[in-house]
Amino acid sequence: MARTRLIAATSLHPQSPVAEAIADLWWLMLVLGVIVFLVFAGLLVAGLRRTAPEPSEDRAPHRRLVARWIVAGGVAMPAVVLVVVFAATLQAMRAVPASAPADALEIELTGHRFWYEVRYPAEGIVTANELHVPVGRQVAVRVTSKDVIHSLWVPALGTRVDMLPERTSTVVLQADRPGEHHSRCGEFCGIQHTNMELIVVAEGPDDFAAWVSSQQRFTEPTGALAREGRAVFVGARCVDCHALRGQQTAGARGPDLTHLPGRRTLGAGLSPNTRENIADWITDPQAIKPGAEMPTTPLTPAQLDALLAYLEAGG
Amino acid sequence: MSTLAGWPPSGAETPVVAQPQTEAELDRLWADPPGLWGQLTGVQNDKIGSRLMLTGFFFLLLGGSFDSLVMRAQLAIPDNSLVSPQLYNELFTNHGSVTMFLVVLPIFEGFAILLLPLMLGTREMPFPRLGAFAYWTFLFGGLLYYSSTLFQLVPDAGWFAYTPLSGPEFSPGLAIDFWVLGLGVAEVGAIAAAAEIIIGVCKMRAPGMTISRMPLFAWAMLITSFMILFAFTPLIIGSLLLELERGFGASFFDPQKGGSSLLWQHLFWIFGHPEVYIQFLPAVGIVSMVLPAFTRHRIVGYTWLVASMVAIGFLSFALWAHHMFATGLSPLVLSFFAAASMAIGIPAGVQIFAWLATIWAGRPIWGTPFLFVLGFLVTFVIGGITGVMVAAVPFDLQVHDSYFIVGHLHYVLIGGVAFPIFAGVYYWWPKFTGKRLDERLGRWNFWLLFVGVNVAFWPMHRLGLMGMPRRVYTYESGLGWEIPNLVSTIGVLVIFAGIGVFVLNLAHSWRHGEPAGHNPWGADSLEWATASPPVEHGWSVVPIVRSRHPLWEQQELERGEERLERFVRALSEWPLRWRAAVVVGTADARPQEVFRVAGPSPWPLVAGGGVVLIFLAELVKLRWAAAVGALIVVVAAIAWNRPSEPPMTTEEEAEFERAHHVAVNAGGSVVISRWGMGLAILFLAIAFASLLLSYFYLRLENPVWPPPGVAAPAVTRTAVAGALLAVSTAVVRTAVRRLGRSQQRRFIVGLVAALAVSVAGAVVQTWDLASVGFGLGDHAYGSIFFTLTGFLMVVFAAAVIMVGAILYWALRGLYTNRRWAPVSNVARFWDAMVVMWLVGFATLYLAPHLT
Repeated sequence: MARTRLIAATSLHPQSPVAEAIADLWWLMLVLGVIVFLVFAGLLVAGLRRTAPEPSEDRAPHRRLVARWIVAGGVAMPAVVLVVVFAATLQAMRAVPASAPADALEIELTGHRFWYEVRYPAEGIVTANELHVPVGRQVAVRVTSKDVIHSLWVPALGTRVDMLPERTSTVVLQADRPGEHHSRCGEFCGIQHTNMELIVVAEGPDDFAAWVSSQQRFTEPTGALAREGRAVFVGARCVDCHALRGQQTAGARGPDLTHLPGRRTLGAGLSPNTRENIADWITDPQAIKPGAEMPTTPLTPAQLDALLAYLEAGG
Repeated sequence: MSTLAGWPPSGAETPVVAQPQTEAELDRLWADPPGLWGQLTGVQNDKIGSRLMLTGFFFLLLGGSFDSLVMRAQLAIPDNSLVSPQLYNELFTNHGSVTMFLVVLPIFEGFAILLLPLMLGTREMPFPRLGAFAYWTFLFGGLLYYSSTLFQLVPDAGWFAYTPLSGPEFSPGLAIDFWVLGLGVAEVGAIAAAAEIIIGVCKMRAPGMTISRMPLFAWAMLITSFMILFAFTPLIIGSLLLELERGFGASFFDPQKGGSSLLWQHLFWIFGHPEVYIQFLPAVGIVSMVLPAFTRHRIVGYTWLVASMVAIGFLSFALWAHHMFATGLSPLVLSFFAAASMAIGIPAGVQIFAWLATIWAGRPIWGTPFLFVLGFLVTFVIGGITGVMVAAVPFDLQVHDSYFIVGHLHYVLIGGVAFPIFAGVYYWWPKFTGKRLDERLGRWNFWLLFVGVNVAFWPMHRLGLMGMPRRVYTYESGLGWEIPNLVSTIGVLVIFAGIGVFVLNLAHSWRHGEPAGHNPWGADSLEWATASPPVEHGWSVVPIVRSRHPLWEQQELERGEERLERFVRALSEWPLRWRAAVVVGTADARPQEVFRVAGPSPWPLVAGGGVVLIFLAELVKLRWAAAVGALIVVVAAIAWNRPSEPPMTTEEEAEFERAHHVAVNAGGSVVISRWGMGLAILFLAIAFASLLLSYFYLRLENPVWPPPGVAAPAVTRTAVAGALLAVSTAVVRTAVRRLGRSQQRRFIVGLVAALAVSVAGAVVQTWDLASVGFGLGDHAYGSIFFTLTGFLMVVFAAAVIMVGAILYWALRGLYTNRRWAPVSNVARFWDAMVVMWLVGFATLYLAPHLT
């Protein structure tokens, strides 16, 4: 099972102002933590190596010990460190934008078991498992869930928000540089929680505009094979769950398949988007992603060929 | 390197009674019956305590070790297919659930029940039958939970069972019911044992062991037990709501019907976060006992340690939401919970530095228990530092539900909890088996575990920062996750070797261990004055404590104030017909009462069976069987508490009282039973408060309340019912006063009148409930309405049954103006029931009118 190769999701290579603030907080806490540990370890080792005087009945040294150790080491030192960490925490929290500016790009992200539905309401785009954002611009992502709790987590951008079925939450996201970032579901959501991945594609303004217009464009396939595949799409009941522009009915349980060829992966980040992988996915999704909602679809090789041609032409 | 030669400074041992035959007599009196019957009915604290520990250890091997081995094997290499996704989810659910519910807590409660009577200088725990009940419910609950494996219905929604994933729609099978119900039974046991420990520590100590001379382990268990009461009760209520949603169509967590998935998270984490400290505080207690023995120095900062534990106890209830940072709380709330979470660093710092100072002040002796204490210090400090990091909200958002957390929590729980357990086992094993453990194997045991834990869990922090989420059954190559995962798996194998050496050491000592003697470590606390293994009754002559370190600072344990000396000597030879134990003042430890401790009984087992039958009936959906279970519980509870004929006349009691100015109650303790009733009421009050909070949470989640189409309830009939209940409590109070004046007939008439008035009130209320026009399953409003109502009705029924039992025994003339403790306790319960009734129905009927 070969996956696509992307920029590794990592908190230590921040790609946004928020992620940078968090990384700064981490390095500060790491340094403080190491100092605290070294102080502790030094005292422990020194105490173990030291030859203490014979125990005596005199309580005065005992009291001095209490004052020196517990007040200085146990109260004052943690208090100072914690005040610094707390101040840094508040500072980093301020880097997280509380609300999006009025001109921010709006995206609606809905969690499903086990994939992401992505909508750009103003642009009229519906896609799945890929979140395209323009570099350097704030994006308001409105998240919710259709079923259980999922969580949007983009480590490289320092973004996390739970996707709750009972409400829509908004998170403001911003990428500094072009790049593709892993975002795995951050809340256990069932049997295929492991393979629920969103790819955040940060693009320059021109690339983003080009992507938007390519998504908006749609022409009904004209080739004979593709037209045959269009019928298979209905006949094999794909249409019950999947929408594809131009179809009369539009199911909503599975991802919208319009412009499928432009997507990077299949099965929410599971395998690269190739013709063979699409064929495997259609004929036996349970072998690839056991427990996914998609059923097995028995097709003759000819039907499969036609269906693949239709999907490939799908925009 | 020092050895133990020439240590301890004083050789105080348990005093020997004047006549050797009384020793044998006491032992016979306190022993459980022989054979299988004795195993089933036995209540001896040694038996209950060691059973709890062994069962906990058994579950550790099963759920803690085996599961983790399979999981780490699966994750050792990328794209592995050793286990299926389903099995992997079952494994981590089981691993978390078992270790959090069935391992650590029973082991610590076992330690406490086993040790406290010896350590506190008393002969038994206050309610030996409650201890037995706690064990049976824990065992049955654990087995019920584990039986899911036999039916291939293993829970798979995580140990936190977040709704709606754990709800009826997304987990339709019975797997989650096994989780809710099996662990529910075990939680009942945990609460029962906590009540036993609270009263034991507060009321049953050696004369002279004032609250400031109490061993730190007793302090730790006292605070822990209160936390159990306050944390496990909301969880039981949460589980009740979840089961009502799964099995009865109620909706609390389903947004479609007015519920909120976050309500479950609140209820769960109000339990779940204190639970971490519930596991940690007993470890603080153990470390504070072991350290003085191995540094030959009293603990530095005793008062500071007590204060720090109390502070942690309170603070731990103020930071549950730090598990919910990503759910969309406001920045103000976030900073409050961040500050509260970080504030824990100060009491923890106090503890660490008190121990460091003790090491500096003393001379270390490198025994195995000491090694484990050092391992604890190092590992726990690392876990504490990463703990402060995850309290910083933005950083937590970055690593929440990633392997960073897995690393952090295992440092805290293995370093902070498991190492102290090992220290405790190595430390106290000689006391309870009379045999030493092998030091060389002990060192192997320690180093394998210490190295293994660090190798296994250190790389996980890095994995988390690289973006590896928790609870994934595999990962792809090329992300740099391969090496840390492989190293981690190797670490777990090393931990396994360490546990193997541990088992080997125990087995070796059991068969060939050298005799340990009374006090092999030269320790300072009372348990080391008794024989190893201790006699059944623990103490022939109850010790008199004059110091915080009696074995170091007292030459003799039977010497003290003259009146106390006469008292403890008298008690070593009197009464010898029943199991006598002493109740002392909570703070000053002056003897208050000599009472008869309950003996072996089959009823705790039967009651435990009844409890498990109720839960089992719900599991297999044979709901009539739940009624049978409830009946069994009621019958067992009555039989268990049946006032038996006192083995002594009141004249004999009075004679001892005159001589020693200490009350004698051969019929059973007045003080202890009052405390018991107090804790039972507290338990119900917490449960009630959890339901009220759920009510108001759902109220706030729903802008329209009651939902459209449902009228706000009419208050007239409820007001009448409430008035009748209020009258009944006054009638009960008056009746009890009559008994105090020996007016038996008026007492009985009063009870009958109270029953009649209150039942009339309940009938009026039920009449109203039948006509409210909505049901349990309609909407969150109806669900919480009828759940609260049901709770109040059950409490009412319990109170009626109690008064009924009292009435029956009163008719048989069992209560006199001298023996009437059960009567006043039932009157207290009645008061509490009426208060809950009034508050509960006032909320249900008035809140909808407020907008």
